[in-house]
Amino acid sequence: MTELLITLDNLSIGYNGQPVLTGLSLSITRASFTAILGANGSGKSTLLKTLLGLLPPVAGRIDIASAGVPLTFGYVPQSNQFDPVYLLTAFEVALMGAYGRIRVGHLIPPAERAFTRECLRAVGAEDFSHKRFAELSGGQQQRVLIARALTTRPDVLVLDEPTAGVDREATTAVLEFITEICKEKKITVLLVTHDFSAVRHHAEKVIWLHEGKVYQGAVDELLTTERMAEIFEIGMG
Amino acid sequence: METLQQILSIDFLLRNSLYTSVLVGFACPLVGVFLVMRRLVFMGVALPQISSTGVAIALSLPLWLGFKLTEHGSHSAHALAFVGSITFSLTAILVLAFMERRGRGQPEGRLGSAYVVAAALSILVLSKNPYGEIGWLDMLKGEVITISNFDLVLTAATLTLVLAALGLFHKELLLVSFDREMAIILRKNVVFWDSLLYLLIGLTVSMAVLSVGPLIAFGFLLIPALAAHQYARNMRQFTLLASLIGGATAFLGFLIAYRWDLPVGPTDVVLLGVLYAIGWLTAKLLQGD
Repeated sequence: MTELLITLDNLSIGYNGQPVLTGLSLSITRASFTAILGANGSGKSTLLKTLLGLLPPVAGRIDIASAGVPLTFGYVPQSNQFDPVYLLTAFEVALMGAYGRIRVGHLIPPAERAFTRECLRAVGAEDFSHKRFAELSGGQQQRVLIARALTTRPDVLVLDEPTAGVDREATTAVLEFITEICKEKKITVLLVTHDFSAVRHHAEKVIWLHEGKVYQGAVDELLTTERMAEIFEIGMG
Repeated sequence: METLQQILSIDFLLRNSLYTSVLVGFACPLVGVFLVMRRLVFMGVALPQISSTGVAIALSLPLWLGFKLTEHGSHSAHALAFVGSITFSLTAILVLAFMERRGRGQPEGRLGSAYVVAAALSILVLSKNPYGEIGWLDMLKGEVITISNFDLVLTAATLTLVLAALGLFHKELLLVSFDREMAIILRKNVVFWDSLLYLLIGLTVSMAVLSVGPLIAFGFLLIPALAAHQYARNMRQFTLLASLIGGATAFLGFLIAYRWDLPVGPTDVVLLGVLYAIGWLTAKLLQGD
């Protein structure tokens, strides 16, 4: 039986009590790969932030747990949001993913350092792990942030446009790696993107936010020419 | 060399002043590193001044209430000054940080106004206080001369507490500063860690202002961290180098001030400025700009 990890029931999301999107009902199962599509301002980031607990829901119900145990999220934000004044190495940034497991006031155990190195190696970031994070290219920073998300040992990997500003080749490599590792470790993926091609190749399910409405379904069903024309016609009213 | 031997002697008359300066020199940059990273440099300017206003008001309070504080530098006056300093520092840092978080208005304008109003208020309060004429103004100007054993122990204990907290909770404080969203996702109580950091900044500023005055406190909070940032390659180097620059400058500044009979506070700050300028020029030359 497929295990439900995230259930949204008639959820309204927004900022300061002002809804951006209402009547959101959907469910996400374990080890699935879901893409969230939508134009700028459609509410993608608001939805992501609500799921991550960064924003409170305006109304409705949100269940995020597996057998009553809270889920661990690995979050990959856009890399350009970090201040270069922090002299952190790529390794130090990736290691932060382990902080959730280390008790307050305790030293970082060698096992956590070794695991962080393993994650960096897995994403192909080992060679530049000693370099300053702020001095890495966009693609390299994204790899480090993916390594940091994996270091959290996540149930759900949340990626906010992880390939923005990254070339096509690197995008494919990153998404292929994510698909592979998430299948292997049964990690659920939520990917926010504008990249239709990436969604077609990697995602199983799509949540499409368009002019205040939510469309969802399997990639094969929703991203057909007919269905997309239908959505845009509805949108253009 | 003779001066160096003199100030290093165990019988040196101003040894408490030297120890306190060096303690403040080592400790303030460790807090200053967080001010620089969180882009709160202006707060580093305003806080010592606001803290010194707290000292001025606290020391004037008995006078306004009709009590008489006869012994300058007594434990009760010092305790009163400490309470005033810490109350003003913490209130100011919490209010300013809260306004910063809301992201409205101009932070530089708020901090600049807070600084200038606090400075003016200190002068006004002390000008009407007979004790201010005697010694308190000297303290606020950074004349590190009369530091009792009690003052030294209080400074050392407070700064040790701050250092211990910074060391123990370094991971959490760094995470909350670098990536607040990640900290929330990892279920860290960001309000608690922010408040703890502000408490540590407030304690350090209050202690430094009380021991060596706002001028040195301001200088040691920011300049060593800014100087170290030019050369450090990672966070460990940044923190250690900033602290080392602060401690070494405090010692050297004291030596120069003692040798040529100069006030310690301004000597330290000018020395820090010169070191920062040399460091900046060297860094630029090395980069080939």
